Amino acid sequence: MGVVKREKTETGMGRGFRIGKLGLALTGSYLGYQFQNLFLDEHERSGKRKAYQTKAAHYIRAELESLKGPVMKLGQILSMQSHILPPEALSELANLQMRAPAMHPTLARAQFKASLGKFPEEVFRDFCAEPFAAASLGQVHRAVTKDGLEVAVKIQYPAIRSAIEDDFKLLRSVAFPVRLAGHTAEAMIAEVERGILEETDYLNEGQNIDFFREQLQPLDYVRVPFVHWDLSTAKILTMSFIPGKPLQDFLGNGKPSQDIRNRLGSRLLESFSLQLHGIHAIHADPHPGNYLIETDGTIGLVDFGCVKRFTAEFIELNRAFRERIWLRGEEHARRFACLIWGEDVVSKPQIAEKLLKQAIDFYEMLFPEANSGANVVDFGDGKILKTMFRIWDDCLRNKTINPEFAFYSRAEMGLYNLLHVLGAKINTSAALKKVDDRPTKKCGQDQIP
Amino acid sequence: MTPLKVKSRSGKRAKNKEKTQREILRAALELFSKKGFFRTTTKEISDKAKIAEGTLFNYFKTKEDLALYFFEQELVGLIEWYRDQKKLHEAPLTEKLFAIIHGHLERITPYEEFVGAVYLRALQPLSKLNLLSLDTQELNLRYLRFVQQILRDAEVKGEIPKLGDFGAYAFGLFHLAIISYWLQDSSAGKENTLALLDRSLKLTNSILRKGAWEW
Repeated sequence: MGVVKREKTETGMGRGFRIGKLGLALTGSYLGYQFQNLFLDEHERSGKRKAYQTKAAHYIRAELESLKGPVMKLGQILSMQSHILPPEALSELANLQMRAPAMHPTLARAQFKASLGKFPEEVFRDFCAEPFAAASLGQVHRAVTKDGLEVAVKIQYPAIRSAIEDDFKLLRSVAFPVRLAGHTAEAMIAEVERGILEETDYLNEGQNIDFFREQLQPLDYVRVPFVHWDLSTAKILTMSFIPGKPLQDFLGNGKPSQDIRNRLGSRLLESFSLQLHGIHAIHADPHPGNYLIETDGTIGLVDFGCVKRFTAEFIELNRAFRERIWLRGEEHARRFACLIWGEDVVSKPQIAEKLLKQAIDFYEMLFPEANSGANVVDFGDGKILKTMFRIWDDCLRNKTINPEFAFYSRAEMGLYNLLHVLGAKINTSAALKKVDDRPTKKCGQDQIP
Repeated sequence: MTPLKVKSRSGKRAKNKEKTQREILRAALELFSKKGFFRTTTKEISDKAKIAEGTLFNYFKTKEDLALYFFEQELVGLIEWYRDQKKLHEAPLTEKLFAIIHGHLERITPYEEFVGAVYLRALQPLSKLNLLSLDTQELNLRYLRFVQQILRDAEVKGEIPKLGDFGAYAFGLFHLAIISYWLQDSSAGKENTLALLDRSLKLTNSILRKGAWEW
């Protein structure tokens, strides 16, 4: 037992122990915190809570980092969606990438054959045995096709789907303390499970890539790879190689000027807004490694495993924000609140009013009206992120969570985090208008693969 | 000069013998894959190999002898293949051990049904194919020495603590267990076997490295 317990990532059993330990540790201290609440006055309560938050944040981050498996993403989303973490930890969590165990060259080659029926050296002119990047659920190798085209080959760790299904069985039991406190509905876990299981199907990801490449065509600075369907399966994805440096390397090398950072930030926001308002589906894995930046400012988008397609209600909600529907009277404002938090919110008018005000203020902070005088938003100062966390905190405390937001919030926070890292100063309303002015591809919900 | 001639003649004879043995095995494997190990008769094998049934018995007394010859050929092939993998010799121990079992599985994949039948037969205590039978000992020893050498190299490099002869035995049993699992594995491309193999080797390696083995 002792030996297995020391294991960090290799086995389901070891992972189970760690998840259990994480759940237990949180249960213990969380219940302890709730119990102590009964005996503390308001001032002491706040201090105690802060101490708990710091401890829990540290604990969750360390545990999730060591897990690295499929369960990490759920932990990441749940942590980001719960009010137990301070903003600093949330921001770090947004950068965590779901990683499967690393594969040595012999295993990667064996898995390639198991899925495609042939060894890499039989189908490629050249295949690099060592991976050049980690990807969600697998790793990426460089290769050259027989026609001489440079490609990136994503290979999934074997049997990861069944491992994920097992992890969710475990998580449903260990997430109990969180559900107990009323913060995580079964609907939320189911939504996250759906999203992660979808990621295990690389053919689905290939279709996402084809879809986004076509839909993002209006943005000439965004590059999306081509899929080599003849060299792809549910577990192998062969794509054209996208040059460029991961965002963090781009920032680290050569220290780009404020002007370049602003331009890049503006492009990231524009691309996100086009997906949100024009395409109605977003690339929902905002890990900085998924953005490959070239020296001319071209942004290569990779890893389309996690894509969130919007429901009709969500599309209506986004439109309502854009049109500042709350200015049209109480009836519209009520409808708006229902779209965000569900019909139940009407029965709590005071909470609804408070949440609505926060959401509107946040939107005005993000996209100030042209005549307000504050056209440029500074993402570097962290105010946006902090406000967003506070809103979530209130939503969760008031049990107004909407599962539809699980992946969207992660993508949105990931974007603001990227802009924060960039230290970008952006005229957000102008960026949004640019999206409106561009001729977009006509598409609806039914066209999304 | 004369002794050389004798040697050459006996060498040629041995080569011919080996050629016939291989031809018989090839014919037998073809029939096993069509009709199954148990339902194929020695008459059918000799007909297919275009030899008299009596000649077949000169080479293999029973189908079990044929199966033993098959595994011997596979082991020789596996050892030769491993020796040629120069890059692999520089890899960590877990990758080497993974490659040995995976390489073996790749070799026997075309004969999966036959291997399954042989495994069943080997469970019988009186079978020549039984792990404890004297007939399998020579094969076992060759295998154990091959693995032992790899483990010793890892010991010298400090990758694992000293395991003595036990290490090779334990790996041999693990190898057999993985083949049993592989025979039952119905996952696409038998990827569950790959995951099991990878995880068990990593776990074992991790336990050994952490010194839990030393007492």
